Amino acid sequence: MTSPVLIVMIEDDEGHARLIERNIRRAGVNNEIVPFTNGTDALKFLFGPDGSGIDHKNRALLVLLDLNLPDTTGVEILQRIKENVHLKRSPVVVLTTTDDAVEIQRCYDLGCNVYITKPVNYDNFANAIRQLGLFFQVIQVPAAT
Amino acid sequence: MTRSLRESLAHRSQPILLGLGFALLVAISSGTLWLVQQTSDDAQSVIQAQENQRGLTAVLLALRRAESYQRGFLLVGQPEYEQGYRLTISSLAPILENLKALQAEGHLRESDVAEIMHLIDDKLAEMEQTIQLYSAGQTEAARGLVASGSGRDVMENLRTLIGKLSGEQRSLLNARTGDTQQSIRWLAIATVLGTIIIMLLAAASVWLLRRSNLERDEALDTLEATNANLETTIQARTADLREANEEIQRFAYIVSHDLRSPLVNIMGFTSELEAVRDAIFSKLATTPGDEAAAQENQELGRDFDEAIGFIRSATVKMDRLINAVLRLSREGRREFRPERLNLSEIVGSILGSVSHQISEVDAKITVGDLPSLTSDRLSLEQILSNLIDNALKYLQSGRQGEIEISGSVRGIYAVIQVSDNGRGIHPNDHQRVFDLFRRAGAQDRPGEGIGLAHVRALVRRLGGTLSLNSAPDEGSTFTITLPREWSAERERSAA
Repeated sequence: MTSPVLIVMIEDDEGHARLIERNIRRAGVNNEIVPFTNGTDALKFLFGPDGSGIDHKNRALLVLLDLNLPDTTGVEILQRIKENVHLKRSPVVVLTTTDDAVEIQRCYDLGCNVYITKPVNYDNFANAIRQLGLFFQVIQVPAAT
Repeated sequence: MTRSLRESLAHRSQPILLGLGFALLVAISSGTLWLVQQTSDDAQSVIQAQENQRGLTAVLLALRRAESYQRGFLLVGQPEYEQGYRLTISSLAPILENLKALQAEGHLRESDVAEIMHLIDDKLAEMEQTIQLYSAGQTEAARGLVASGSGRDVMENLRTLIGKLSGEQRSLLNARTGDTQQSIRWLAIATVLGTIIIMLLAAASVWLLRRSNLERDEALDTLEATNANLETTIQARTADLREANEEIQRFAYIVSHDLRSPLVNIMGFTSELEAVRDAIFSKLATTPGDEAAAQENQELGRDFDEAIGFIRSATVKMDRLINAVLRLSREGRREFRPERLNLSEIVGSILGSVSHQISEVDAKITVGDLPSLTSDRLSLEQILSNLIDNALKYLQSGRQGEIEISGSVRGIYAVIQVSDNGRGIHPNDHQRVFDLFRRAGAQDRPGEGIGLAHVRALVRRLGGTLSLNSAPDEGSTFTITLPREWSAERERSAA
């Protein structure tokens, strides 16, 4: 992953956030990770005070998104990112516990780039995150326009 | 309350009215019969009286005719008169016979008839004598005999007697005629009265019937309304139940789903702790030569490992349970797709997938004739594979395992039995084994206590029943009864 890609991690469970971060790091990803535990703060960061998202112009963003958030749903955040002129090309990786087929379809319909169900077993979880980290190292992330 | 009382009264008075009408009809009929009989008797009597009268008068008439012939003969002496006289006398014989017959039948008194006979004999003797005298030429003597008036007296006596008897008969006849008229009048009155009463009864009956019909119609309407009400109530309740059921399913899903999150953390950080364990302890053991410290470190390490081990096994178990709940809730929400199923085929493929297990425990499997049915394939596969799996899992060691899968058809139901000669289940645990996370007997086999709970939930959703027959050390028989034709409506109505 070409630097400097900023990883925006939206995950309400701080434990999960920490485990995700550690495992991504173990895969050799050294990019900056900005964690958010709720949707409001994440949206404020993503779209800026004017809500246009112009702040991130020419910055490469990758969003790690949990669907179950306390204040808003990840689906709504996904939808707003993909509808935004500046952020619509930023890859969104949905990383959640839900494996409901309808939910998965809906996310892809809305433009999500990768959908990963968190494995319940920790070993699998760690493994999946590490592979995701490896994946991050090879993908191209366009800068926001 | 009053309504039902009134109704029952109306219902009870109906047969009473009918009985009353019937009794009246019988009374009128028998009365009429009796009166007709009476009238007929009266008519008979009237005829008889007329006959009697005629019989008596005939005697008098014949004698008068004979007398007039006699008088004529005595007057003119012509033989035609004598001839007429003889003829009349001879015609008297049947008339007297008739009189005797009437007396013999009891219509005339014997004394009266005897008197009449006596008088007739006297008269005949007198007339015969005059004619004999005249024929002998003793004209004067004959006329003198007539003039003596003895013949006239006899005739007078006879006329008086017959007149008296005729009068008797006439009054008898009048009395009888009066009786007959009276009878007929009574008959008419009785008939008219009876008819009126019967009509009244019929009217009352019709009125009662109409009223009870009206009440029945009302009751029917009420019943219909109640039924409709009940239907809507049931529908509402069913909807409520379904909603509650869905709510529970959703709840189970959410709970199990959300429980996973912290579990991932527990498991994850346990792994992290394990990963740093060696680093910590190697740091602690850096002071060389300190045997006691090294010993202590080792003990601490063991405690640490033990604690981590317990956390791990507990989280693994919790993970399994949560997974089970999640699976059950998913199963509960899964839409059934009914299709025509060949059970023998399904059982065959299940046995194929556990063939390794079968050869391992060296069990003998018998599959009987299995009915075909329309139901959900996946559900039946899960039900049968759980039961077969259990049968294989809990065989009695030291005994050749025998498992039998059989089926039959009972009306609209298909019955499937899975029986084994395994370790069996204690009667106290027959209910328990179907509960979620509950198991029975020696806990020497892996399992969560989910299989039978799952089986029972599926069988119930398919509109069937599951029963267990088992004794310890003898074996268990699970009997599944499923409708042969399952449809989504069935489930909805059962929900």
